[in-house]
Amino acid sequence: MAAFTLLAVGLIDVAWIVASLLAMFVGLSIVVLALTWLERKVLGRLQLRLGPTRTGPMGLMQPIADAIKLILKEDILPSASDKVIFWVAPVIVVVSAFMIWVTIPAGPGLVIQNLDLGLFYITAFAVVGILGLVLAGWGSANKYGILGGLRAAAQLISYEIPIILVVVAVAMLAQSLDLQVIVEHQNPVLHVVVLPLGMVIFFIAGLAEVGRTPFDIYHAESEVVGGPFVEYSGAHWAVFFLAEYINTFAIAALASILFLGGWLGPGPAWLGVVWFLLKVFALVLVVFWVRGTLPRLRIDQLMAFAWKVMVPLGFYTIIITAVYLFYDWPAWTLTLMSLAGLSVVGYLIYRRVMAPVKLVKEIKARQAQQLAQRQRAQ
Amino acid sequence: MLNTVKGLMLTLASTFKGLRHPVTQQYPTVPTPVKPRFMGFPALTWDDDTPEPFCTGCMVCIRHCPTQCMSATMKDNPLNEEGKSSRKKIIDFFEINLNRCILCGICVEVCNFDAIVMSHEHEMSTSDRNGGRVDLPALLQIGRKYQAETGWIPPSVLEKQRKEAAAAQQRQEVAAAESGDDSQ
Repeated sequence: MAAFTLLAVGLIDVAWIVASLLAMFVGLSIVVLALTWLERKVLGRLQLRLGPTRTGPMGLMQPIADAIKLILKEDILPSASDKVIFWVAPVIVVVSAFMIWVTIPAGPGLVIQNLDLGLFYITAFAVVGILGLVLAGWGSANKYGILGGLRAAAQLISYEIPIILVVVAVAMLAQSLDLQVIVEHQNPVLHVVVLPLGMVIFFIAGLAEVGRTPFDIYHAESEVVGGPFVEYSGAHWAVFFLAEYINTFAIAALASILFLGGWLGPGPAWLGVVWFLLKVFALVLVVFWVRGTLPRLRIDQLMAFAWKVMVPLGFYTIIITAVYLFYDWPAWTLTLMSLAGLSVVGYLIYRRVMAPVKLVKEIKARQAQQLAQRQRAQ
Repeated sequence: MLNTVKGLMLTLASTFKGLRHPVTQQYPTVPTPVKPRFMGFPALTWDDDTPEPFCTGCMVCIRHCPTQCMSATMKDNPLNEEGKSSRKKIIDFFEINLNRCILCGICVEVCNFDAIVMSHEHEMSTSDRNGGRVDLPALLQIGRKYQAETGWIPPSVLEKQRKEAAAAQQRQEVAAAESGDDSQ
């Protein structure tokens, strides 16, 4: 009898987990479809145009139209490709994207499965997605696809490091890897106020992780005809597309949890979900804003930025957090140190970026001087 | 670095502008805005004083058309025999093949009677092969619409008004000069 009740309870647990996973899957899919619509509308308005208007009221049926179009396309399989790898690559990418969402809390206690090692789990699964990209490139049996896949892997691995460093700094601040504890720790003061450098690094490196403009060179259609995705058509490509938006949403959610206080906000506790969603959507809008403004970085500029700027800044973040914690300084010193780091780096980048302009001025001045000398000699 | 921030501020401003005044014109549901001097397909004008077309069928426009898209015949004007009109001949049959018209406006330039104008019509596609051939009643209808829309005054009348105004101005100046001499 006892064994029977145990079995029943176990089954109910399993049913509960399966139900919540299904809910997460469906909810995320709907949110991601809505994000594709929102992106096109926001980019349109940013560019003084309308975005989709004809498919349904205000173009709301556009994602569905896109989905139908992609599903109806011919599914191409290159004859020289490894069929299993070709098929498995998008699955790996999208499954790892979904797996991240299992531990992200949307409200106090609103999480599918809270893990003590939440942050560790998330960064681990972010790396699994990279494997999917390399397999996509390899499975295409296309020289440019393979190169694109390797390039994508290089970019994503390089930008994992600043993310991990900043995540370590936040974990040091909150003294835990558990996402719910990190949010609770921000109760009086948000982490973004204490460690603004961390927010900036996490956001920029997160953009690069997802493959969003200005870091989307590896799969930009106009540049490399899709990179590792070049042989994927129709529903296969739609899966990669979906994974990109899930990752974007995940980075925004993580940034809001780690730095903006997740579900914290004035009002009753059940309003937490609303605050969380508001923060995440604000960050998603910032991602779209950045996409609409900046041109793409070349792959060499991108990698140089990662290794010469982001990684040292990441180490700097850890050092100042450690110093702050070790010497027990007040929190504003950490803000000061991170802002100092940001301004120094900003100034150095400004110097480096303006250097060609100064060189042009020098050369012009020298030429003018030489011309004047020659005229005097005549 | 700074340029990135400036760029972001620019796109933020343009987002608000795009929310209020996007430059897109959703064409079929919204008519194209047409400027007053827009040159659409040619049309024939109607003289309301003696109710008849301005066109006398003199064929000058037909001779000068680069694509030879027009044809016409004239007839003796019945209103002239009754004494109601000063035009001895009037247009009987006029056809323009709009498929061939290049909208150059030469017909308007050479017309001696202010009879033909470039209307504002530009959406006259049809699905049958000879649908672009427009006859006299249709041309007069388009012309009448153009005249009503723009408050059209025949250029010769405008020219006469301008000359009279210039002559009056000159007479005034001469009179002022003479009275100035008198006073001295």
